[in-house]
Amino acid sequence: MIDTAAFAGAVAMLAGSLDAWVWVVPGLLIGLVFGALPGISVSMAMALVLPATLYMEFLPAIIFLTSVYTGAGFGGSIPAVLINIPGTSSAVATTFDGYPMARQGRHNEALGAALFASCIGVLISYLVLLLLVQPMAEVVLRIGPYEMAAIGIWGMVLLGSIGGASVAKGLFAAGLGILFGTVGMNTAGYMRGDMGIPWLLDGIPTIPAMVGLLAASQLFALVNAKFIVEAESERRISLRRILAGGAMVLRSPLTLLRGSAIGVFVGAVPGIGSSIANLLSYGEAKRSAADPSAFGKGDVRGVIAAESANSSSEGGSMATMLALGIPGGGATAILLAAFAMHNVIGGPRFMEQSRDVVYAIILSNFAQAAILVVVGTIFVYGASTIVRLPLRYLIPSVLVVSTMGAFAIEGSIAGPITLFVFAVLGWLLSRYGFPVAAVVVGLLLGRLIETEMLRAWQLAGGDPWYVLNYPWAVAIVALMLVSLALSVRRDIRRRRAVRDAASPG
Amino acid sequence: MTTTMHGPRRRALLAAGAGLVATAPAVRAQGFPERPITLLVPFATGGYNDRLARAMAPFLQKHIGQPVTVMNRPGGATVLGNTFFLQQPDDGYMMMVHSAAPFIPVSIITRNARYRVEDFFMINLPSRDATVLACAADKPIRTVEEVVASLRRDPRSLSVGIQPASADLVNFALFCQAHGIERSRVRVVTYDGGGPARNAIAGGVVDVGLVGAEGFLPIKERIRPLLIFSDEKSTDYPDAPILTEHARVAGFAPQFVEGSQRGFVVASRFVQAQPERYRILLQAVERATKDPDCIATLGGQQLATTWYGPEASNRAYRATSALMERYAELLRGN
Repeated sequence: MIDTAAFAGAVAMLAGSLDAWVWVVPGLLIGLVFGALPGISVSMAMALVLPATLYMEFLPAIIFLTSVYTGAGFGGSIPAVLINIPGTSSAVATTFDGYPMARQGRHNEALGAALFASCIGVLISYLVLLLLVQPMAEVVLRIGPYEMAAIGIWGMVLLGSIGGASVAKGLFAAGLGILFGTVGMNTAGYMRGDMGIPWLLDGIPTIPAMVGLLAASQLFALVNAKFIVEAESERRISLRRILAGGAMVLRSPLTLLRGSAIGVFVGAVPGIGSSIANLLSYGEAKRSAADPSAFGKGDVRGVIAAESANSSSEGGSMATMLALGIPGGGATAILLAAFAMHNVIGGPRFMEQSRDVVYAIILSNFAQAAILVVVGTIFVYGASTIVRLPLRYLIPSVLVVSTMGAFAIEGSIAGPITLFVFAVLGWLLSRYGFPVAAVVVGLLLGRLIETEMLRAWQLAGGDPWYVLNYPWAVAIVALMLVSLALSVRRDIRRRRAVRDAASPG
Repeated sequence: MTTTMHGPRRRALLAAGAGLVATAPAVRAQGFPERPITLLVPFATGGYNDRLARAMAPFLQKHIGQPVTVMNRPGGATVLGNTFFLQQPDDGYMMMVHSAAPFIPVSIITRNARYRVEDFFMINLPSRDATVLACAADKPIRTVEEVVASLRRDPRSLSVGIQPASADLVNFALFCQAHGIERSRVRVVTYDGGGPARNAIAGGVVDVGLVGAEGFLPIKERIRPLLIFSDEKSTDYPDAPILTEHARVAGFAPQFVEGSQRGFVVASRFVQAQPERYRILLQAVERATKDPDCIATLGGQQLATTWYGPEASNRAYRATSALMERYAELLRGN
C-alpha cells in the first residue's frame, strides 16, 4: 500500500530541506502555549498562525501548521491536570483523573503520562494514516446518522452518571447537560430555548460553558486550601517523576492502544472529532477495567486513555482531509485553507499527483511526535511550577485568563457572560452534590445524539424498524447492551457481597 | 435605491475625475484609508467566503494602499456577523465578504433578524452558485428522470439530503410541484451546512441531495450531478443537464432560485453617508478584481473573479430576496 518511489521522494524532500525542519519546534511551542491557555482551541491557534504561512513554501507551511496542531493537542492537558480546566474541549476527560492525581501530589506523573500517551497516540495515528489513508477515508464517509447516533449513545451510557455518588443525581446532571446542548437551532431549522438572545442562535457557547462549570466547581472548593498540592514535600517538580509517568504509559499498552484506535476512528468522522473521542476512550477504559471505582480518584489509566485518544484524532482527521479534501473539524479546515493559499487543492487528485508530499507530511509528523517528547517535557517542567504558586494568586489569575479566553473564542462579551453564568451554576451543582462532569458530558454529547437521531428518524421516514438496514449501528447498540448487562450484574454481586460482609449471619 | 444613489454617486464621480489619478497612493492622498481595512466574513474559516476574502486581501491591499485583514464572525446563519457589521461606524474601514443572497433575506425570514434587506449594499458578487441535484457516483441512479419516476411512484422511495431554510429547499419544492410529487411525504434529511450535506451525498448516506454545486468541485469524481438549477450550462459540470432543458422536455415552465451569490458587501447607510469613501472602496475592489495577477491566483483556487459591478449585483441580490420572501412560509418550515 506504500508507493516506494514516492516514499523515497518524501525522504529526500525532508532530508534535503532545512526549511521543512526549522518550523517544527516553534510550531510545537506555539501549539503548547495556545493549547494550554483555557479557551483557545486547536483551530484558533492554527488560525492565528495561518497568515504567517502565506510567506512560506508549501511543505514548510503545512509542517508548521501540523506542528501547531500536534503541540496544541497535548497543550490542552496541562491546565486539565494542574487546575482542572481543559485547555481545549478535547481534554475534558483528562481532568477526570489528571486533576485528582495533581491534588495528590502526583502532577509530575500525570503530566508525564499525558505527554507520552499523546506522543505515542500521534505516532500510531500517523502510522495508520500511512498504511490505510484511502480505505479509512472511504469507510468514514459512509458513516451515517444511525452509526453516529449509536456512537453518541454509547458515550452517554458510559459516562452519563460520571463522578457522582448517587445515580439519580448523576442522571439529573447529565439530563441538564443534554438540555443545555439542545439550545439553539436544530438541524431541521427549528429554534429552541434561545430566549430571543441572538448569541444563543447557535446554542450555548460550549467552551466557555465547560470552563465555567469545571473551574467553578473546583476552584471554589479550593478556597480554604493554600496550594493545589497540600503536602509541601510533594510540590517538587521532578524530571525523574515526569519520566516515570511516561513509563506508566508503556505499562498500560492495552489502554493506550484502545485509546488510539478510538481516537483514529472517531476523530476521522467529520463533525465528531477529538472532543468526543477522548470521552469515549475514557469511558471504555473505565468500563473494561477490573476496578472501575478507582477511576475519577487519580487513576493514571484515565489520563492515558483520554490523552491517547485526543491526540490520535489528529491522524484520523487528516485522513479525510488528505484523501477526500473534506475537513473533519476546525483544524483540518484551516489546513485546507492553507492548501488553498498555496494554490493546492486537497482531495483525491492531490493524493494521486503529489503522493510524495503526502508522505513527507506524514513522515514529518512522526518526527514531530518524537520532538514533542523533548519539547513537551521541558514545557511541562516549566508549567508545573504553578503548583508552587499559592492559590490566592493562582485562582484569580486563572479566572482572569479563563475570562479572556472566553472572550477570545466568542469574540464578544457573550463568552465571559456564559462563563460567569455557568460558573455560578457549577458552584451550585457541586455545592449540592451533583456531578458537574456529567453536565459537561451531556453538553458535548447531547447535541450530537439529538442531531443524528433526528436525521435517522428523517431517513427512516418515521419507521422504527428501518434501523435494521444498518447492521453496524445495531451491532454497536447490542454490544453496549451486553456490556451494560454484564456490569450491572457485577455491581449487584459486589453489592450483595458487601452487604453479606457487613451483616454476618 | 439606484435613484437615491444618483446624487452622491455623481458627486463622487466628479471628485474622482477632478482630483484622483488612477494610482493607489493618489487615492490614499485624500486621507482615506489611513489605517488597515478589515474584511468581515460571517462564516467560519475554510469556507468559500473565507477563502475568497483571504485570497483577495493581498490584491485589495495593493490597490488600496493599506493592509487588509480578514476577520471571521460566524454564527446564527450569519445573523451574528450581519448584526455586528451594522453596529460598526460608517467610516469604510470594514467590508463584508458574504453569501449575501440568499443568506441575508433568509436570516431575516427564519431568524427574525432585526435588520432589513435594504440595509446592505452590494459592491460586487462575483461568485454565483447554482443548486445541483446529485447522488454518489456508486449509486444506481443515472438520470434525473429516474429520480422523478421513482418519487412519483412512491415519494418515500428515495431519501433526499438538503439544508433547511436554503435556496436548495426552495428549488426542491418548486421541482416537486412541477412534477406532481407529494413533497410532504418525501424522506427529507436535513443538514445544517453545505459541508455536512455534501459529505452525506458523496458517502451515499442519502440517496440524492440538493446543495450548492461549487462546493462539490474538490470531490467532483465522487458524485454524479443529475440536474443543475440554472438556465445556462455549467462550465464546471458540462455534461450535467440544466433545469430549463429538463423542464422543456417534461413540459412545465422552469422556475428556480439562484444559489449563493457571494462577494463584497457594505452598509447602505455608509454609501449614503460617505460617498467619497465608498467610491474609493468600489474602485479598489474593481481594480483588484480585474488585476490579471488576481484573476490568475484566484482562478487557481477555483474562486470567481467576475466583475458585475454594484448595479447588477444589487439587482441580483434584490431579485433573490424578493423570491425568498415569496417562499417565506416554506423556508420557515410550514
